[in-house]
Amino acid sequence: MALYQEGDLDAATTLIHFISPKLYRFFAAQAVSRLEAEDLLQETWLRIHKVRHTYRPGEPAIAWFYAIARHVRVDHYRKAMRTTIREQELEETSAAGEAPAGRRDDLAALLAPLSQAERDVVEMLKIEGLTLDEVARATSSTVGSVKQKAHRAYKKLRKAFGSSKKRTEARR
Amino acid sequence: MNDREINERLNGAKMPQGPNAEVLGRIGASLAESMRPVHPLPSRQLLAGGVESICAVVALIGATGLGFFGIAKMNALERLAVFLALGILVLVAARELVSTMIPGSRRRFSSGGLVAVTGLCLATVLAACFHDYQTTHFIHAGLVCLGIGLLHAIPAGLLSWLVLRRGFAVDAVSAGLAVGTLAGLAGVGMLELHCPNFQAAHLLVWHLGVLLASAGLGALCGSWASSRK
Repeated sequence: MALYQEGDLDAATTLIHFISPKLYRFFAAQAVSRLEAEDLLQETWLRIHKVRHTYRPGEPAIAWFYAIARHVRVDHYRKAMRTTIREQELEETSAAGEAPAGRRDDLAALLAPLSQAERDVVEMLKIEGLTLDEVARATSSTVGSVKQKAHRAYKKLRKAFGSSKKRTEARR
Repeated sequence: MNDREINERLNGAKMPQGPNAEVLGRIGASLAESMRPVHPLPSRQLLAGGVESICAVVALIGATGLGFFGIAKMNALERLAVFLALGILVLVAARELVSTMIPGSRRRFSSGGLVAVTGLCLATVLAACFHDYQTTHFIHAGLVCLGIGLLHAIPAGLLSWLVLRRGFAVDAVSAGLAVGTLAGLAGVGMLELHCPNFQAAHLLVWHLGVLLASAGLGALCGSWASSRK
């Protein structure tokens, strides 16, 4: 990250290849189309590049990346809601045969019962393996608030997975 | 179903495939066009120190112009309690404000929590120190104090924003609320130095009103800024 701030193109390329899959998963887990997730990823990198001076050496870089990615996603949905582009895009992408991200066993489908904030916390904590402190930093909240969201999320998942398990057993 | 089983189910979920190489190449090419060295932001302590100084200077300049009647009328204990509380709250608010302007920073309070904690602490100190329960010229004297307090809070907020302009607020409303709270503290500080009206109701409604109005104005500005994008 320090080399990237110094203008090293190789360092930037390495970062792009290392961080992009994580950020892409973060967007794709929100049940958006592949095209939309790629757009969000590109938009995030443009934003990261613009504000790369705000990273303070010695602090967790991963939290800094996710904080910007969340901001880009919020901005994207705000714009989409204002202009109803989202609906049009969804129609266009489904008309073009684009596979939606959410299938029964997909991460997006499993996390569907959760609120946006809970989904972010579960994904960062359990899928990407961030620490509580890193998730708190990425979501601009406190560690206590992250623990509370994770607890609520697990309660909802327990209920959702439990009822789907019962349905499967009943079918048998 | 226990937590371990939930974790297993999540980890066994079908993960979205990563972005394709073409997309990564496109991102790399777009970044390469404008690749140049950048200076990282100054340290948090320096930024926080900068905005703390702005608050102190704005309050002192205001009171120098209008007169130090308030602090002159206070006894030593009241001075210590009021200005110690204000000093600590400015330190806390400045650090939280800096955190809102650096992505991925550790937060101790949410910005809403900061307004609540600041307001409650000040209300407790003012209620404990001043026991005059008369309400002479409550509205007229109050509106004057509210106006003067806000007139000092606004430049404090704008100057703080100027110091932190290289930062990046991932949540503009939260950053606006934090800057408004800090600026409000500058306004309250000026009023405590200047205003000799120690009626408890006046202090709790109108002096604290400066803090709340300033925080509200900051949040509105943040909301406006994020809706313009």
